[in-house]
Amino acid sequence: MIRSEQSAEQNHVCLETDLNGLTLRNPVLTASGTYGFGEEYAAYCSVSQLGAITVKGITPLPRLGNPVPRLAETPAGLLNSVGLENPGLEEFQRTYLPKLATLDTAVIVNISGFSLEDYALMARALDESSAEHGNCIKALEVNISCPNIEHGGMAFGTDPRSAEQVIKTVRENTKLPIIAKLSPNVTDIAEIAKAVESAGANVISLINTLLGMSIDIDTQRPVLANKFGGLSGPAIKPIALRMVYQVFETVRIPLIGMGGITTWQDAVEFMLAGASAIGIGTANFVNPLAPLDILHGLVAYCEQRGYKSCRELVGLAH
Amino acid sequence: MYLKARVLENRFIGHPSQKIYRLVLSGQLALEAKPGQFVHLRVAESYDPLLRRPISIAGIDREKEKVVLYYRVTGRGTEALTRIRENDYISVLGPLGTGFTIPQTGGILLIAGGIGVFPLFALLDAIDRTKVQVKMFWGGEHRLFLESADLNYLQKTGADYELATMDGSAGYKGLVTDLLQAYLQEHASGHSFDSKSNSGTNPLRVAACGPKGMLQTVVNICRQYNIPVEVSLEERMACGVGACLGCVCTVREGNGVLKRKRVCKEGPIFSGEEVVWDDQV
Repeated sequence: MIRSEQSAEQNHVCLETDLNGLTLRNPVLTASGTYGFGEEYAAYCSVSQLGAITVKGITPLPRLGNPVPRLAETPAGLLNSVGLENPGLEEFQRTYLPKLATLDTAVIVNISGFSLEDYALMARALDESSAEHGNCIKALEVNISCPNIEHGGMAFGTDPRSAEQVIKTVRENTKLPIIAKLSPNVTDIAEIAKAVESAGANVISLINTLLGMSIDIDTQRPVLANKFGGLSGPAIKPIALRMVYQVFETVRIPLIGMGGITTWQDAVEFMLAGASAIGIGTANFVNPLAPLDILHGLVAYCEQRGYKSCRELVGLAH
Repeated sequence: MYLKARVLENRFIGHPSQKIYRLVLSGQLALEAKPGQFVHLRVAESYDPLLRRPISIAGIDREKEKVVLYYRVTGRGTEALTRIRENDYISVLGPLGTGFTIPQTGGILLIAGGIGVFPLFALLDAIDRTKVQVKMFWGGEHRLFLESADLNYLQKTGADYELATMDGSAGYKGLVTDLLQAYLQEHASGHSFDSKSNSGTNPLRVAACGPKGMLQTVVNICRQYNIPVEVSLEERMACGVGACLGCVCTVREGNGVLKRKRVCKEGPIFSGEEVVWDDQV
């Protein structure tokens, strides 16, 4: 077995991370859609050492998701078009939430919807069921990259006004901290960031995947059954980093940086760019201990440079 | 398990045109491995190619703590894998997934298409042939392929087998599923299978691995004769542990409702009856 060499608790660097009302034991969390409901990696990586886990995105109704192929590997990257497959709100509340409540880590629930009513319903329901399960949900992460079915299917997150409406709707229906997850598939991400901040988001996480595609030159057809998919992995890191840097200069609320973070050096870069915490996604697929390896590297970097807290790194590159 | 396994052997076998390698790993994973499961290998230290590669387990030696794998070079990942040398250490996640049912009585037919034979090597090895009647049907492009995919190993096991090739260079000329159909026409009446008690007099079952089209035909044939069949499915995979939902297949539950199952977690072995073969769902 590959074991992490040291426990993160044993060091002298303060890791506690305060995200505008959401307090985490350290700044490393897992990204939604890459960590299931926290059970899948339990045999490999102790969740009690993670700052938080963000569970797979939930929609009001169960979804089968897209047909296969759902995956295509690209240079240092991965395209996916899972299509928000999930058990739906009720099943999540009944089966998964009680198990999540027993985990020794902060749980963030990612929600998706196709109308404002969807978001309102999810926010209300999860607010209530969190209270019923010992306040086990520490925050809602709002995926605004979904198509707005009532308005021609354009993604909520590509327009500042509709992004603002979604976050406002969630704000009106929950007391839980709100993390607005931004889509990078926009012309001006800073504008969207400002909109969700003014709508009452506590935190911004960025970035979601970049829309891409892959074509099989033998069959001369798109590889993904859905044609297009979201690109993740090291390939998108420079773009994610640039967007974190830009948004840091635009808003006052804290940022969770994500997008291709694979090594501790990547994590340091994101914190220097302005992220107060970082999300690990695709790297989990390559190394199930990636979050812990990254945390240990981050701590060592702080120790070596004489920082008392990893907070001190945030935004230093500006 | 997540470990570094020592590579005992990683060498090209058979004819160069067939690009088939045999990879032998040493380590504890042999103690847990079951026929039908796979290991998820990191093919290089770099992040390009990014993902691990799932390879089915073809041989398990618990005493010597060895696991045998075969792979065909088809792209950048398997190409990178060929560069790993003897005594190197390779990052292994696994064994992962479910295993085949190993019969204790009656008979089993193993139906292999192409390199789908490899997980069936492990199953064949695990069956007590003094108690269970085993026969393998293996189809491939041509004799050169079968020989390059270690036909020699199959011969050495002493198991009963029949071959099919598309060009007739070895065994029957045509599809391996024709062999299954013909065999069942002749012999199925001697077997009966009570699916409720999972037994019967001299029960017969089928295990199959190969291309989707072949598996679908195998399942259709088995349905005609009311024979339980397990299939090993393949799908593009990322995490290997059920977290990413990349490698799903569709199943129809008893009540007719469609559901996704994860090939890496609930599979790769599925009951042939539950699988929905329509790609558009």
